[in-house]
Amino acid sequence: MSTRFEFEEKFRDQVLRCSRCGFCQAVCPVFGATLRPALNARGKMLLLKEVMDGKLDLNDALIESLFQCTTCANCYKNCPSGVNVPEIIKLARKDMVKAGSCHPAFKGMNEVLDKYPNIYAEGDPEDFDREKNQQAENVYFVGCVGLYREDESTEATLDLLDRLKVDYTLIDEVCCSGVLEDVGFPMKEHLVRKNTDAILATGAKRVITGCPYCSRTFNNKPQYAELREKGIEILHITQFLQGFDFGVTTDKRVTYHDPCDLGRHCGIYEEPRNTIRKIAPNFVEMADNREDALCCGAGGGVRGAYAKNSIAMARRRLEQAEAVGAEIILTECNSCVHNLANAKLRKQKFKIYNTPQFINELMEEAE
Amino acid sequence: MDEKVKQDLIQIVGEANVTDNLIDMVSLSYDASEHSHRPEVGVWAETVEQVSEIMKLASRIRIPVIPRGAGTGLSGMAVPIQGGIVLDLNHMNQILKISIEDRLAVVEPGVVYADLEKALLPHGFFFPPDPASGKVSTLGGNVATNAGGLKGAKYGTTRDYVLALQVVLPDGRIMRTGSKAMKSVSGYDLTRLFVGSEGTLGIVTEITLKINPKPTATSTALATFDNLEDAGNAINQIMHSGIIPSALEILGRETLAAINQNTDLNLPEVDAMLLAETDGYTREETDYQLGKVIEVFRRNRASEVRQAKTEKDVDDLWAARKSAYAVLARIENNFVLEDVTVPMTQIAAMLTGIHAIAKKHQIRIATFGHAGDGNLHPQILYNGYEPEQVRRMEEASADLFKMAVELGGTLTGEHGIGLSKAPYMTLEHDPVAMDVMRSLKKMFDPNNILNPGKMGLEA
Repeated sequence: MSTRFEFEEKFRDQVLRCSRCGFCQAVCPVFGATLRPALNARGKMLLLKEVMDGKLDLNDALIESLFQCTTCANCYKNCPSGVNVPEIIKLARKDMVKAGSCHPAFKGMNEVLDKYPNIYAEGDPEDFDREKNQQAENVYFVGCVGLYREDESTEATLDLLDRLKVDYTLIDEVCCSGVLEDVGFPMKEHLVRKNTDAILATGAKRVITGCPYCSRTFNNKPQYAELREKGIEILHITQFLQGFDFGVTTDKRVTYHDPCDLGRHCGIYEEPRNTIRKIAPNFVEMADNREDALCCGAGGGVRGAYAKNSIAMARRRLEQAEAVGAEIILTECNSCVHNLANAKLRKQKFKIYNTPQFINELMEEAE
Repeated sequence: MDEKVKQDLIQIVGEANVTDNLIDMVSLSYDASEHSHRPEVGVWAETVEQVSEIMKLASRIRIPVIPRGAGTGLSGMAVPIQGGIVLDLNHMNQILKISIEDRLAVVEPGVVYADLEKALLPHGFFFPPDPASGKVSTLGGNVATNAGGLKGAKYGTTRDYVLALQVVLPDGRIMRTGSKAMKSVSGYDLTRLFVGSEGTLGIVTEITLKINPKPTATSTALATFDNLEDAGNAINQIMHSGIIPSALEILGRETLAAINQNTDLNLPEVDAMLLAETDGYTREETDYQLGKVIEVFRRNRASEVRQAKTEKDVDDLWAARKSAYAVLARIENNFVLEDVTVPMTQIAAMLTGIHAIAKKHQIRIATFGHAGDGNLHPQILYNGYEPEQVRRMEEASADLFKMAVELGGTLTGEHGIGLSKAPYMTLEHDPVAMDVMRSLKKMFDPNNILNPGKMGLEA
């Protein structure tokens, strides 16, 4: 059967398999924040079904639904019919971009990455007072959010690596560009080349990323196959840190927010918890955790394109932290930290950190 | 959409709560059935006064209003088949009161079943019907469909727990029915009339539910049968054990295979599996009850009986059961999920009859259901893009309904009539009963604006 669209060619069966049971409605963060069925995973599958049936055009009218998905994959995890909504959405976005329909925020991001080395169209990044591009055992790859929005957290993470006497170097990194494929565009070859060359030039045997999304990109995208073929191990910082002993503890009530990119997308649930339990005996889980964790609302480009709803999603997550009386929310993703911190209400007294930043603070205090 | 009407609706609920955006029109045109039709406008109401104003407007200009909860219904009752206004009640989602002393909860219609369950749990209470879609379906929808579920045999359905309602009538008047007292025989039972009325008589805006203490212990076992008839006999002999299981579910071969595809449960793929749960307050008590049930299984040639050991085993089994119909959706592009219900003594006949019907029409029918109350879920799997298969599906459905009624049963145990079963109403109900139902509809809704086209009332 010849199809007009890539999403249809690859996922026609899955779109039709959606039984409309609506179970995704219980977990979809966009529905949870908006209560609007058109934004739920089922609503999106219905739109695509009508596109396949020729009842709808894949055009601008569908942007608000199809470009408003954090790709958190909670729907997929809970779908009894096994419909891989995030992957379907990504291809549908690609088809839309091809047909000339795209959310302006993502069109802009694609253009920015042609001219700038990061998604924020900013110039020279912070160098954190460290020499870059050295020969070292490890490359620490920060990621756009950690470089330009959460630099305090990044600096603390680097301080922690210093305290732990880790042999690492920063590089002149550029955006990994993996996120472009989520919003309908191809990754940028020149950016991939630049990162690959810079990493290889250090002679490192391992890349440690501060961003779970960058970690996914390096580990899974064919564009970065060269790194893997050269035997370079790619770890997220939470995986790297789990073997260390920090010798500090806090008596504060600590909870952990699973980033979707680390949790549902990579199955990394226990590594961060193993580390946190060492430093925080008073650890408590939120109602929805691990596979069931609520998305912070930042993913899939939603923070940039639909800021209000993105913040509303983060608020729902913070309510869960409040409900268990957490004083500290730890997570392992700069995007999550950024969105949760932006959503925090003044009356909410807890603090939000990446785990390494928090550990560094404890070690600093103990000195 | 008429711009004037849209403006009037905006006056009532505000601009953010009125939509004729294409993406909303598509999503509001479906439920979980095979039906769909686009409305002209969607409205989110937040108060009973707004609902009342919307109905006054709709009455004046004679435009259909279709109340909607989570849209998980399986017979098309939330599908706006004649267009009009879809009135989405999800924003009315407050639990207004939980009174353990009075043994009741007062909720708005948009509260999700699971959210009430979560709120009652710390009190040691629950609202028993347990619809399989409970983590998403709304209590308003549960009332409108008189939802049943896995606990039906022991605990009944939604109807058995609704004490009182606040209802907006099609002309916009607001009415209270029932009483917050545990007993009331005061006047006609208007509450019961609205429960299961599928949004055709009025719009429920507040629900007072009786709640139950939640048993703290359960025991669960599964039994396999190589022969469907043996399973049927086991079910209808359960009552002789003197035990009413809190759940007694049946899963047929196709269903077991589909669940195995979706989980790591490795269920035995036999003709029929029965899943039984007993509940109480001590393990001794629930194990004793379960032992009696297992005796009946063994007497009816169960090939294997296995008791669930850990809490995880139990949770996995029930999660698998609750996902059954959506799991079966993997097999074919389309399905219809029926819910024919027969007296307990007729279960074996119905089960074997379903097989015969599948064979006759050369179509796949997977079966599972609430064996404990005679409520079976034959799920007909077909390809909606092939007219020949659609025809065979329709013929098989008609035969299923005919058989259920002939066995002294009913078209629908819990999903409702909606659009799917509207053509078969007269199969079950005699002309006098149909006439009374139509008269009732006419009295409440003389202009036929509330969820028109449903329940076969217009013939």
